[in-house]
Amino acid sequence: MTKRDTRSFWIGFAVIVALLAAAPLVLPPFWRHFVTEILIWGLLAMSSDLLIGYTGLISFGHSAFFGLGVYGAAAALLLVAPPNLFLAIALGLAAAALVAGFVAFFSTRLRDIYFAITTLIFSQIFYVIIFTWTSVTGGENGLTFTRPGLGVPGLYVVRFTPTTMHWFVLAVVALSYLVLRRITRSPFGMVLQAIRENEGRTRAIGYHVEHYKIVAVMLSGVFAGLAGVLYALQNEFAAADFVFFLVSGETVIYNVMGGIGTLVGPIVGAAFFLLLREALSRFFTEYYLIPLGVIFIAMVIFMPQGLLGFARRWLNR
Amino acid sequence: MGPLPDVRPSAVGGRGAAATSVLRTEDLTVRFDGLTALNGVNFELQRGELRAVIGPNGAGKSTFFNCLTGVLRPTAGRILFGGDDITDLGPDRISQKGIARSYQITNILPNVTTLENVRIAAQSRRHRWSMLRHYRAYHDLIAEAEAVLDAVGLLMKANELAANLSHGEQRNLEIGIALATKPTVLCLDEPTAGMSAAETRDTMELVRRIAKDLTILIVEHDMQVVMGLADRITVLHYGQVLAEGAPAEIQRNPRVQEVYLKI
Repeated sequence: MTKRDTRSFWIGFAVIVALLAAAPLVLPPFWRHFVTEILIWGLLAMSSDLLIGYTGLISFGHSAFFGLGVYGAAAALLLVAPPNLFLAIALGLAAAALVAGFVAFFSTRLRDIYFAITTLIFSQIFYVIIFTWTSVTGGENGLTFTRPGLGVPGLYVVRFTPTTMHWFVLAVVALSYLVLRRITRSPFGMVLQAIRENEGRTRAIGYHVEHYKIVAVMLSGVFAGLAGVLYALQNEFAAADFVFFLVSGETVIYNVMGGIGTLVGPIVGAAFFLLLREALSRFFTEYYLIPLGVIFIAMVIFMPQGLLGFARRWLNR
Repeated sequence: MGPLPDVRPSAVGGRGAAATSVLRTEDLTVRFDGLTALNGVNFELQRGELRAVIGPNGAGKSTFFNCLTGVLRPTAGRILFGGDDITDLGPDRISQKGIARSYQITNILPNVTTLENVRIAAQSRRHRWSMLRHYRAYHDLIAEAEAVLDAVGLLMKANELAANLSHGEQRNLEIGIALATKPTVLCLDEPTAGMSAAETRDTMELVRRIAKDLTILIVEHDMQVVMGLADRITVLHYGQVLAEGAPAEIQRNPRVQEVYLKI
């Protein structure tokens, strides 16, 4: 990247972050909450892009990592008094990393569809465990808790308002984006892309492909878990539904709609999908999934590179 | 084309000791249900030599190569590299030990640049787990990759997508990728497959140049290609060593003539 590209990147980044930071000041409460959620789902989608777009592994198990982030944060907030924000984040990330490591250990031995199915099955196992282990997870009813304040407990703590919560989420997502962007352009990230391009050759030049995949899945799982923690903090409840495969499926859809291998694309995809669903459910009530599905299929056929890829091509014309 | 990058062996044995064996197989045997592809191959490669393995199609050349580079696990027998038993190691471990290979069917990273193909290979020796710095910040790897591209005559195409190179250029990129891992032994699997006569000549010239610093094992089915090139030739036939010796001896060998004339 040339110096000019670097500068235009940071200008673009600053403008978008500024717009998103201003959003809660001008939007009505419903849409403010909506934008915060888009950021959280966007982070989940972005974490999954590290696997889909950069490593060539399609995970259908991201709900497990997300859900463990939610439940890890919930556990920290329910078990430790007074509730501590940083402990919630730490436990959420640790839970997600642990599960991601477990899933990665088994699934990365397999390729293509077998990898996807294995991640799906593992996530469903976690769903069943969480759904049925009522005494710990609250089962069907889930868990409710209260959000901790921001600051150092005992010294200085401010309560979150919806606006500061939004800013907190925005800061975490923006920082995560920068970290993921750096990772994808690091020597490690280039190995992941080599694996996507030609796994056999990457192995033959001396890379232990499985180790790289395991680390990639764990990193991806940690960022998905971070999205889960943010979701728990914003909504103050944990439910087994977050571990259900629907969440994984939607994560893949965000990626496909937005454009894989771009990191930004999946966030755009999440925003587009969620807005579309909101709009369609107002017009078509309970039948909204039908037009949503039709639009998704049309997008896969007519813009296979997703919204971002399509926009890029259109701009370059 | 510029000077070669430093690809001298470092890991194994002492250089200068005349005729030290680097790579040895003992009774190497591979059976695929019913078919014996390799049958008790005893083979020894000396440090610094340029050895060709030839044989008609189906002689077991590729199987032999796949064993040496960890793609296939032999049914029986051992492979020793500089005194270490590498029989059960996978391709990545063998590459890290110092055996590199190119492929008969072009096997590159098509959707990245020519430079990146070689840079990622060089990166397998250091900085390979770095996550927090941009990959271009490692100037040493880029300089190394450029030196390799220069050596294989592709520096002008450094920023082209590898997929857009001509067939002959992709074949040379194959060799470049292998070279960039700084091997002790370089295995070339029919490096001139599908090349025009002119390209074949150039590539053989390239092999001759890199052979000054390396031990090279080259698989060919065309005997003429390696006649003027190899120090020694091993002839495989039906999975067994039929003959071994200097090119002139091999050419005169009646059994070799018989095998090649029958084809």
